[in-house]
Amino acid sequence: MPTIRLEGLVKTYGDIKAADGLDLEVKDGEYLCLLGPTGAGKTTVLRMISGLLAPDKGKVYFNGQDYTRKEVEERKAAMLSQAYALFPQLTVEENIMFGLEIRGADEKMKEQVLISMLDLVRLSGRSDAFPSELSGGMQQRTALARALASGADLLLLDEPLRALDARLRISLRTELRSLVKSLKMTAIHVTHDQDEALVMADRVAIIREGKILQVGTPKEVWDQPATPFVANFVGQSNFFTGEVLQSSPYTLLRTSDGVVLKGRQSDLVSGDKAVLGVKIGNTEISRERTGYLRAKVERVIFEGRNLHVDLMMDNGQRISSKIPSWKRGKIAEGDRVNVYWEESKGTVFPMPPGGLENELKVE
Amino acid sequence: MPEVRLVGLSKRYGNVQAVDNVDLTVHDREYVTILGPSGCGKTTLIRMIAGIIEPTEGKVLIDGKDMTGVPIEDRDIGYVFQNIALFPHLTVQNNVSYGPRARDQPPEDQKSTSHRFLEMVKLLDKMEMLPSELCGGEQQKVSLARALASGSKLLLLDEPLSALDSRVRVDLRYELRRLAKELGLTTIHVTHDQEEAQSVSDRIVLMRAGSVVETGTPEELYTRPKNIFTVNFIGETNLLEGWVEDIIGGTSTIELRNGGKVQVMQADHSLGDAVVISVRPEFVFPANEGMKAKVTNITYMGTYWRITATTEDEEEVAFDVATLDSNLLTIGKELYLAVNPKAAVLYPRPEKGVQEAIKLE
Repeated sequence: MPTIRLEGLVKTYGDIKAADGLDLEVKDGEYLCLLGPTGAGKTTVLRMISGLLAPDKGKVYFNGQDYTRKEVEERKAAMLSQAYALFPQLTVEENIMFGLEIRGADEKMKEQVLISMLDLVRLSGRSDAFPSELSGGMQQRTALARALASGADLLLLDEPLRALDARLRISLRTELRSLVKSLKMTAIHVTHDQDEALVMADRVAIIREGKILQVGTPKEVWDQPATPFVANFVGQSNFFTGEVLQSSPYTLLRTSDGVVLKGRQSDLVSGDKAVLGVKIGNTEISRERTGYLRAKVERVIFEGRNLHVDLMMDNGQRISSKIPSWKRGKIAEGDRVNVYWEESKGTVFPMPPGGLENELKVE
Repeated sequence: MPEVRLVGLSKRYGNVQAVDNVDLTVHDREYVTILGPSGCGKTTLIRMIAGIIEPTEGKVLIDGKDMTGVPIEDRDIGYVFQNIALFPHLTVQNNVSYGPRARDQPPEDQKSTSHRFLEMVKLLDKMEMLPSELCGGEQQKVSLARALASGSKLLLLDEPLSALDSRVRVDLRYELRRLAKELGLTTIHVTHDQEEAQSVSDRIVLMRAGSVVETGTPEELYTRPKNIFTVNFIGETNLLEGWVEDIIGGTSTIELRNGGKVQVMQADHSLGDAVVISVRPEFVFPANEGMKAKVTNITYMGTYWRITATTEDEEEVAFDVATLDSNLLTIGKELYLAVNPKAAVLYPRPEKGVQEAIKLE
């Protein structure tokens, strides 16, 4: 339920800046995914919100009040981590009730909470089971019920699905989100999985090296990435470097081969060194129609819904394209194709100061 | 030229049948993934191929030779583990040249071999570093280079990507397949991740509860698998229960439990049969008639929108649209959904129900 605001959070461990002047606002009842690679500082942020860790600098606000130095208990936040940490010697029921026992809730209330929690996570038939008798998904739901039963308003989820099989993870995404939504809780969910973030979040905050790079709806971070890193981390992108010729009403970029590429309007100035990023899913190929670039099809991989196509451009650069599977038969290895995209799907960025390769590193 | 043949391979632990009578041939230069949920026996299977675990019954043949009793070091295989197992005190280069050194190759050859494979995984510039100075994806590439440098043409990969971040995993998939193909290796790769299996494999072997459910190319298992467990495990699908109401020519009309009627170009069931239709979200679309449903969720997936609608029978149907016309599609909107008759597949309704037949755990 609370609105959370983080202002200028700094946390250093020796030389490592786990949080480096981090600002973020999470709205009341919002499901926010904090997305970033390992080591980006995601868990540090969660721990500072929960009160388990004090920032070196900066403030944590709950509903506008300064909670930076408040005790863990006062924050009414429940944390759910990838290691569910259920008590192995306690049953599902006892695990779920653990928080309420400690707080000495009366019997009637405990009973009510238990019944509603078991029902909510669909474990009514298994309340006497021990964690070791449950599947991974059931253990995860028990841990969730325990977190929810504690009466928290704020749910902090640290890679809650990471330990599960890929297929199960996909089924649990929507389930987890709708549970949290039905309880009207504010949720902050840390993940390194961009698909998970896109499917689950109201808004996604992308974090790297202790800084938030961009916050927006899944559509905003996908369609209008703030940096080349975001463009490549949230869905893969192809990148082309060159010099800006114009930036309005659309941007024209001339590559070192003299090819002119088109992208969305930008703030760049003619003559700037720049990078154009296009999602591989928006990079289209055709044998017939004209395009910006010529390439040879190196590989076509059937991936179910889509085909993944690896291309070698005439200048030796490798790029990829994802096209719907119904186009199989229209494209084969060895084909020469033209590469194009809608200009609205190309985003032009200033050349990153540390170079493009450094900018795109995902680890 | 390694060909791997498994004949009636089984492994029992007490009362638990971890692997139950598996027959499989992996051809020379083929890339095969063993795919399945946790506990399906896939790891036990690859460990029996490697010689880490002895089978209770059955045989592993490599190039026609019975491997029973042959230890891992004499099977001439490269093996990559899920948990990266590099020598922490050796540099990247010395990790990779470990195999050639153990086999007393001359120092020049050791060096050129390690250079060759480090170049292949694009880590030549980091060869003087220690494993702890590399990130997870790089460490796993070193493990791979080390497995390749052993000179073996048979590569066994046991969940090689699952310890890595998902974004790194995606890049490495394509890398793995490219390397295996360029080097002409026979590869057996164990994974629980169906997307990974689709991206790397020539052929997928899907396992469940110790047995092989189905084997096929990624395309076969996605478009028209024989088994309802397969169709749910590989890619996303809608499973709709109903009855065969009419058959004309090669097309069946199915009356669905949710009240709708759809047509499927398949006619191997009889009138009145209880069936389940599988149809992928990309082959369901709004129409003038069909299943009546109400839009309950809209999710942006980057290159398309995923819409979830709920029928009067409380059944969820997912479908995809390329662009979102907010006049036609908003939460709460009622509409009719039809399926592409060519892309839908019919299965007999499982005896113990659909949920039991597709259960993951």
